[in-house]
Amino acid sequence: MRLPVTVAAPLCLLLAGCATQPVADTSTRNFTGGMPVDLSGSWERDYSRGDDAQAVLNSMLRRISRPLPDSGYPGNAPQPTQDFSKIVALARLAELITRPDVLTIEQSEYEISVSRKNDFSMLCEFYEGYAKRTQSEYGTEVCNWNGNRLESHLILPDGLLISHRFTISSDGRNLHVSTTVSSGSTRTPFTLNRIYMKFDLPETDFNCVETLSMKRVCSTGEIFP
Amino acid sequence: MKAALCIVLLSAAWQHVLADVGRDPTRLNISIAIFDPGIPADRSLHRKLQVFPRVREIEALYLPFVLHDMLVSARVGGAVRVIPESDPAAELLVSGTILNSDGETLQLRLQVTDASGTVWLNEIFSGPQQDLFAEFGASLIAARSSRDMPSLNTVIEVSLLRYGQQLAPAAFDGYLESTADGTLRIRRLPAKSDPMLARIERIRDVEYVFTDAIDAKFRELSADIEVVYKVWREYRQKFSRYQAQEAERIANAQSTAPPGSFEAISSHYENYKWDRQAVQEQEKWAAGFENEMAPTINAIEARVFELKGWVADRYDEWRRILGQMFELETELPD
Repeated sequence: MRLPVTVAAPLCLLLAGCATQPVADTSTRNFTGGMPVDLSGSWERDYSRGDDAQAVLNSMLRRISRPLPDSGYPGNAPQPTQDFSKIVALARLAELITRPDVLTIEQSEYEISVSRKNDFSMLCEFYEGYAKRTQSEYGTEVCNWNGNRLESHLILPDGLLISHRFTISSDGRNLHVSTTVSSGSTRTPFTLNRIYMKFDLPETDFNCVETLSMKRVCSTGEIFP
Repeated sequence: MKAALCIVLLSAAWQHVLADVGRDPTRLNISIAIFDPGIPADRSLHRKLQVFPRVREIEALYLPFVLHDMLVSARVGGAVRVIPESDPAAELLVSGTILNSDGETLQLRLQVTDASGTVWLNEIFSGPQQDLFAEFGASLIAARSSRDMPSLNTVIEVSLLRYGQQLAPAAFDGYLESTADGTLRIRRLPAKSDPMLARIERIRDVEYVFTDAIDAKFRELSADIEVVYKVWREYRQKFSRYQAQEAERIANAQSTAPPGSFEAISSHYENYKWDRQAVQEQEKWAAGFENEMAPTINAIEARVFELKGWVADRYDEWRRILGQMFELETELPD
């Protein structure tokens, strides 16, 4: 059965609060003045760094399959196979979501959008420092700043929660994105870390603009707006 | 040079008659002010309400011309003009606010006020664009039909006197008075042979000629908007249909996958993803519409600016000259 978001969202918030850490609320002011950090730019994945999804999963499965020394539940131990399959599902989703090798981040006074190939653009909206939810029938996106770290949370039905944490290096050349997927079906979240390096788009002789009726229009001369 | 031209213009001896100008009072002149785009001040609401501010501004410029064409073709009034700003001295002033515009349905609050400040209509009209304007035209005709000839003549007179008050306050002081309900009524009329009244009427005619010339230029530009606006509306309609189909598909496609399985959680993610991608595609269309319309809108805004500047300059000059003439004409001999 599909829960309406109005019911599911508070439930998710509650679950998230118990299972991992509280999802950002919109009543707390995140910052005053401008956003704490400028994340804008084009970022490409550094495959030499960051997590290998399979290795993280293996390590996690090994860890949770180890019997707890004083679990005290000899007769009611969790069913490892069922829990494993749910953790594997989280890992597969985390790997799928973090697959794009390029992130394009645009940041304005009010919002940050993270464009990814073959996926929707994550959106963080802040007005006067307060986060604004992006809500639809299918889920809710909400962000917050945790110091200099931007956190984006996507709350989906059945307690599914996808959080991305963006941290930029002090020299502004590297971006660390930590993605955590958790669900109401298992208490164990799955986290993948990715590292991205900033790159500059190549210079072009053409000036282009998107139009409605003519699609992309390019010119070697000046083009507005 | 300009001052000399104005003096020649104003010195023309015109025999003025107020109510019996030979005009059909059922065909009052209609001025349509550029609409209020109805953009919520709270920026954070724009996405939720699907309001694209720049598109709304373009619609606020363009829709008055659509209404203009309808009123002219239906012969609802006399001269119909689109004006850049509200003009309380207009015989009939149409002002509108866009409440909703999603390509299929348009919702406008339209108000018609006569020169005395009496509100003829103040209603929310909703529906497809052409139907909406046709319904408005019918309502306007009904409102006019409910008024008798003397009251329609009075509207013409008050309009001229208000215009005169704007240009030569000293000469037109005392002709109009406010009533308890905030409207204006005629307290007394100037003499039919009052030369100041003739001058005012002449000036207004000149302003109309200029406004009509600008209006004609606007119309060329609105034709440019029309083509792209049609594409925009088609996209919006497709988007609405797509959203409805998606909602239906998702409602009917109940997943049987066990909760927490990859199929179940990826399905939740995919539903959200497709919905967001559709919304973001629509935002791209809005940006494309804005980009494509930018040269036209800039040209319109330049024309509006030109018109405002021209009128403001002339008003200053006319006010000064009319003031001097009034002083000369009312000066007691030594």
